[in-house]
Amino acid sequence: MWESEVEGRRLNFRLAGINNQNFIMQDEQTGSWWQQVSGEAILGPLKGKRLASVFHDELTFDVWKREQPSGRVLRPDDSRPWKKFSENWEEKTARMPVVTPSDEGEPFPPRTTVVGLSLNGAAKAYPLSAVERQSPVVDNVGGVPVLIVMGDDGKSVRAFEATVGGERAEFFARPGSKPLALTDAKTGSVWDFTGRAVEGPLAGQELKKVPLLKDYWFDWKTYNPRTQVYRIGDQ
Amino acid sequence: MPDELNGSSRGRRALGWAALMLLPVAALAWVAVPVFKVQPFAPQTPDALSLSYTLRGWSTVAAVAALIAALALAVRLWRGTRRWWRKALLVLPLLPLLFITWFTRQNHFEWMFSPLRQGGFAAAGEADFVAPEEMVMAVKVGDDAVAFPVRQVAYHHIAEATVGGRPVVATY
Repeated sequence: MWESEVEGRRLNFRLAGINNQNFIMQDEQTGSWWQQVSGEAILGPLKGKRLASVFHDELTFDVWKREQPSGRVLRPDDSRPWKKFSENWEEKTARMPVVTPSDEGEPFPPRTTVVGLSLNGAAKAYPLSAVERQSPVVDNVGGVPVLIVMGDDGKSVRAFEATVGGERAEFFARPGSKPLALTDAKTGSVWDFTGRAVEGPLAGQELKKVPLLKDYWFDWKTYNPRTQVYRIGDQ
Repeated sequence: MPDELNGSSRGRRALGWAALMLLPVAALAWVAVPVFKVQPFAPQTPDALSLSYTLRGWSTVAAVAALIAALALAVRLWRGTRRWWRKALLVLPLLPLLFITWFTRQNHFEWMFSPLRQGGFAAAGEADFVAPEEMVMAVKVGDDAVAFPVRQVAYHHIAEATVGGRPVVATY
């Protein structure tokens, strides 16, 4: 999710192509080419400029609606191409070939879904299956303690700074809790999936959100070539 | 008329014919290189992207120039061409050039996916077109919370909107 204004000028984007399976956008105003995944202009008059990223979550509709009951949802057009596309895009995407180079000794198959974090110039990829099994995961990326949590829907993932009262804290999930409830080992406060303390001494406080990218491993690795990789048991 | 002059005129005509036949080939290469370099089934290099960007940026100018040049050649060669099938041959190269000129004004990436400039929205409670377990990209600016169903963003690839007064573009 990007802000579409650069230096006070609103840009409108078109599709312009594909670069190693990540698409390229062209703005109508200057004709520059932008890489979708990085928000960076790679060719044209605005080359080198970056779009400001807008924080967003990837959640199931169910979780989002519980959190934002008065929000609004993009409505689909009912064109025939949309209907045709909508029927089976997940299966089709999974069958797309991977063309970026793959080394021997890769930690995962190319289409493994990973949760990617990027902080202070360091990048780390967490296989979604590991997050699913171990949530909440407390780890370090670029010297920042991070907390990665899977929602009670088993699909939504959020990341926060794992800092409570200025210090790194461990977090535990209350088993089987719905809505999800986390407890920090420092104060015993109870935190919900939005990162807000709902009970205990820190009630009302919020954890700092950390942007994450759910991505295929091959794509994450292409744009974060020096990424670290989380393995089950690293905690 | 002296013989050598006649010969050089014939040579010029042959050159004209060759140029006329080569123009569609050159124009085709101009538009085909970016199509093949920037396609999903092969990896890209920065040089190939840069070349494609330049070719694409000038493709309409190049195609129109080729079309005008071919037209001028065909008109010149028309006089002095007597057989009907040779006249037909003069017109033939113009057809692919017309097609190529049309193609340079097409965005073939958008034949399948159409970026969304201004979409409609439904209230969260009334959005019966999204299943509970479907993923959405959720953004909130001020009090304005907006969900972009991933399936829709994957279809458009680009969905522009204004959220809490901030112009945003959802991409997937």
